[in-house]
Amino acid sequence: MTAVIISDNRVGNWSRTLREAVLHTGTHVVRFTVNKLDIRPCTACSSCSGKTYGRCVIQDDMQKVLPKIAACRALVLISPVIFGGVSHHIKKVMDRMCALGDPRYYMNNGELVKGMSGQTMNYYMVGVGDKLSEAERSAFFALHKENRIIMNVEGSAFILDSRTDNVSIEAIAKEIAHV
Amino acid sequence: MNKYNIMLLCASPRRKGTSAMLLERVRNLTGGDVVFLPQKDSLEEFAMTMKQAETIVISGPCYINTYPARLIELLETASRSGGFSGQKLYGIINGGMPYIHTHRHGLTTLQLFAEQNHLSWQGGFVLGGGAMLDGKPLENHMSRKKVVPAFNQFIRHIAEGSSSLDSLYEQAQTPPGRFVTRIFSKFLTSMVLKNLKKHGHDPNAPNWYLRQQG
Repeated sequence: MTAVIISDNRVGNWSRTLREAVLHTGTHVVRFTVNKLDIRPCTACSSCSGKTYGRCVIQDDMQKVLPKIAACRALVLISPVIFGGVSHHIKKVMDRMCALGDPRYYMNNGELVKGMSGQTMNYYMVGVGDKLSEAERSAFFALHKENRIIMNVEGSAFILDSRTDNVSIEAIAKEIAHV
Repeated sequence: MNKYNIMLLCASPRRKGTSAMLLERVRNLTGGDVVFLPQKDSLEEFAMTMKQAETIVISGPCYINTYPARLIELLETASRSGGFSGQKLYGIINGGMPYIHTHRHGLTTLQLFAEQNHLSWQGGFVLGGGAMLDGKPLENHMSRKKVVPAFNQFIRHIAEGSSSLDSLYEQAQTPPGRFVTRIFSKFLTSMVLKNLKKHGHDPNAPNWYLRQQG
């Protein structure tokens, strides 16, 4: 199985540390550092759900990232916690992922939901930040929960700070690797 | 209130969509101009203009449960340079799903941004089922009877400079029941399928990026 790790380089060494821990479980890892890539914002053109179904028409580095996400079993986004959410670099990737979404509507727990296009991946958000307020932490977990509902996927969110130890990282890596 | 002290910021890449329509409704009462968030280049200068306003109203669409990346970039840029001094901040977020919880995170983001940067958070308005309007007047909303007066009340709060409570938009929107949801789901899906058929696509085919990988 392949895990795709997408990180903002403002998270320090956490991206490399987590990558090594996931590799250690025998999982193949593809890692992208978004700040180094040319990824433009989604323009809400709707082409990916119509004219060019499943394909984003913006020709930039996201064309290298989307095939990897489409084929992965675990997607891991690593971001500094910013205003209770992810950084704009990570958010650009999330916004552009609509090309991989299923445009049809489904029902889950009595509510309308969407889903990923024929894909069974798990979805993880890893937030990094010291001295976060309870409001910031709960907003970060709430965003992940809503993402899980709308994408109809499983997975967890984690928050790392300078006190996070290797044991916790190994546990997160095992969960990502489904072992 | 004149146009020099209120900033009506549209965070959508669409100039004639629901986010802009809602701001236009605000403008009708408060005056000022609707400005569109630039979608290209640095936002440093644009962030400076936010600091000259006394009141800022941000209206944007909900992309995957919160505001689009470009608005987050503006907030990050504005936060880095600092210099806010008690500006009143209001937020509006609209999305397709007819639920508040789907879109609520956008307002939480604005509130946290305000609290961390010396702005004064005055509340916001979450509009579910907004994408279906596609820029058409709010009077076409499926819950128009409750949503229109609630939104009008929200605009009065902005004009008066008073804070708006979450209960205002929460009480105006009731999630549809199972029966209506099932009909919605079938209707919306049939629209999607019709569109895909028109363009010659098979909705059940593997994703385009997977097909390229063989």
